[in-house]
Amino acid sequence: MSVLESLREALRLLLAQPLRSFLTLFGLVWGTAALIFLLSWGEGLQTMLDTAFQRAGKNLVQTWPGRISEDYSPAVDRRWLWYTPEDVAALRARVRESDLVGAEARTHAPAAFRGRALSVEVRGVEPESQAIRDVPLASGRLISREDVEHRRRVLVLGQRARERLLGAEGRLGSWVRLDGTPFQVVGVLDRVGTQLSRDGAEIDDQLWVPLSVHLALWPNPWIDEQMLSTIFARAKDRKRIAEAKRELRWVLADRLGVPFDDEEAVPIFSPVEMLDRLPLDQQNGLYLLIALTTLLVGGIGILAMMLDSVQERRAEIGARLALGARRRDVLLQFLWEGVAIGVLGGALGVLFGAGGALLLGSQVFRSGISQAQRDLVPVPELSLAIVLVAVLAMAGLAVVAGLVPAWRAARIDPAETLRVE
Amino acid sequence: MTASEVFRESQARVVTKSAVRLAQVHKKYSMGSGEVHALRGIDLEIARGEYVSVMGPSGSGKSTLLEILGCLSRPSEGRYWLHGVAVDEVDADGLAKLRGEAIGFVFQAFNLLPRLTLLENVALPLLYRGVPRRTRHERALGALARVSLEHRAAHRPGEVSGGERQRAAIARALVNRPSLLLADEPTGNLDSAHGLEILALLEGIHADGATVLIVTHDASIGARPPRRIAIRDGEIESDASSAT
Repeated sequence: MSVLESLREALRLLLAQPLRSFLTLFGLVWGTAALIFLLSWGEGLQTMLDTAFQRAGKNLVQTWPGRISEDYSPAVDRRWLWYTPEDVAALRARVRESDLVGAEARTHAPAAFRGRALSVEVRGVEPESQAIRDVPLASGRLISREDVEHRRRVLVLGQRARERLLGAEGRLGSWVRLDGTPFQVVGVLDRVGTQLSRDGAEIDDQLWVPLSVHLALWPNPWIDEQMLSTIFARAKDRKRIAEAKRELRWVLADRLGVPFDDEEAVPIFSPVEMLDRLPLDQQNGLYLLIALTTLLVGGIGILAMMLDSVQERRAEIGARLALGARRRDVLLQFLWEGVAIGVLGGALGVLFGAGGALLLGSQVFRSGISQAQRDLVPVPELSLAIVLVAVLAMAGLAVVAGLVPAWRAARIDPAETLRVE
Repeated sequence: MTASEVFRESQARVVTKSAVRLAQVHKKYSMGSGEVHALRGIDLEIARGEYVSVMGPSGSGKSTLLEILGCLSRPSEGRYWLHGVAVDEVDADGLAKLRGEAIGFVFQAFNLLPRLTLLENVALPLLYRGVPRRTRHERALGALARVSLEHRAAHRPGEVSGGERQRAAIARALVNRPSLLLADEPTGNLDSAHGLEILALLEGIHADGATVLIVTHDASIGARPPRRIAIRDGEIESDASSAT
C-alpha cells in the first residue's frame, strides 16, 4: 500500500468523524501554535532586553570612583578616590581586551533658551566616549576632537532634551545658556529609547558638551585635579567581558595604589553581565516545557483517536490481512495515518502560531501605547529554526503516537476478527 | 521460507494433484483457564478443481478448519500442504502472499470495507500484490462484470443490497484468480433468492476450474456439491462423494 493511499485513508478517517477529528486536531494545532509562539516570544524578549540593556553602549564596561573598603583601611581613613584624564590615558595605553576607552564628567545645571528654563544633566564628552555610546545623529554633528582641544562652547542635545528645551523654534546654531554660559547647538541625537541600564538620566534627556569645557566650567571644589565622573570601555568580545573588567581593574588599582581585589575601591559594572544574570534561559526553558507539554496533550489526542480507530476497524484489518496484506502493510498504514493527522495538525499549528507571532509583532498591537512602553514590549521573532523545531517535534510526536495503535493493529489475529458469532 | 520462495514453489507444484492436504491437524485454543480442542486429528485431501461442502452444527470446528485452510491461523499440531507447499514452513509474509495469491475468501458478513467503493474493495487484493493502479482498476472492473455489478462500481457497500454486497465480495475473491476459493456461510445473511444467485456464481467459478469449498450449517446448501464433508466435535464424521 502506497504512502499516498495511506494518506488518503487518513483523510477519510478524519472526515468520517468530524467532531472527534476536530477535537484531536485542535489539541495538535494549539500545541504547535503554542510552541512556535512561545519560542518566538522568548527570542523577542531576549532581543528586547539585549537592546534595552545596551542602549548606553554595546559591550560596555563602566567604572565610577569608589572608596577603599574597610577590609583594607581603618574606618577613619576610608578616603574617596577619583579618576583623572591621566588614568584614561594609562588605560588606553595598557588595555588589550577593550578597543575603546572613554570618559565623561557629569553635572546638573540650569539650561535656558528664549525664556524656557529647565534643570538638565550635562555630560562632558569626547570622541571616544561618543563612539562607545554609538548614538546616531538626527542632525548636525557630534563633539569633535577640536571642540575638546579648543574648549569650544558647543552643545549636542538628546532627542527629548531638544523637544523640552528648544521646542519648535530651536534649531542648529541656536544659543543655549548652561549655568549662564552660552553654548551653540551643533547637533541633535537620534532617539535612543528606554534604557534598562543607565548611569544617570537617559541619553535622550542629556546635553553633551566637550569634556574639557565641562571640567573647566564645573570643577570639583574640593580637589585640585580634573575629576572624571566615569570611565568606560568597550570590550572587543561580548564573551570576554569578565576579562575586560579584570584588565580595567588591574590598571586602575595599580594607578590608585589600592589592592587589586578591592571591588569597593574600583567598582566596575557591565550591563551585559547584569543581563546575563537574568534567568532568561530558565524562562525560555519554561516556555519550551509549557509548549511541549501542550503538544504532548495533542499527541495523546492522536493516540486516543488512533487506538479507537484500530478497535473500530478490527474487522477491516482482519479482511485486509485475509486479502494478502502483510503485518508490515497494516503497521505502515496506521503509522502513516498518525503521521498524516500529525502533519495536518502541525501545518495548521504553524500557520496559527506564525500568524499570531507576526500579528503581535505588527503595529496593530503597538498603537495606543507610548514610545517608551513600546521599547519594552517584545516583538516575537519568528525564525525558520523555530518553525523547524515545531515541525520536527510535531512529526516525532505523530510517529510515536501512531506507533502504539499501529503496532496493535498489526498484531490483530485475522481469524478472530472474521469469525461471526 | 520467504514469500518469493513460496510463490516459486507453488508455481512449481502446479502439477500436484491435491489442492489441499491435511495430516492429523489439531487446533487448540486457550480460553480463560481452560482449553478448547476445536479440531481433533483431521486428515483430509481435496483434489484440484473439486467442489466441496463442509457441514456441521455451530461449534463443530468447521470455521476453524476454514481458517486453517485459508492460512489465517496455523494448526496446533499436524501438517498442512497447500498446492504441495508445507504451510508450517512458511513465514508470516509468505502466508500473507499465499492468502493474497492462491486463496480467495468469501465471508458470511461480506467484510467489505465500508469507506471504499465496490471497485476499490475489489481491487484491494491487487493493491497488496503491488499491481499498478491502472491495471488494478481494469481487473477489478472485470471481476465486477463477472458478477454483473460493473454498474455499481462507484457505490459504497452501504449503498447496495445484501446480495450485491456478497457478489462484490465474490468479485474481490476472484480478482486474483485464486486456485482455492473458500466461502464461509456465503448465503448466511441473504434471503433464499439471493442465496441461490450466489451459489450459482460459486458453481460457475468451480466450473471454470477453481477448487471451491463452502462451509455451511444449512443442509440444503451443503447437499449441492458433489463432495460433502460432515464435521462434528472437531472430527470428520462423514466424507461422501456422489457422481456429478
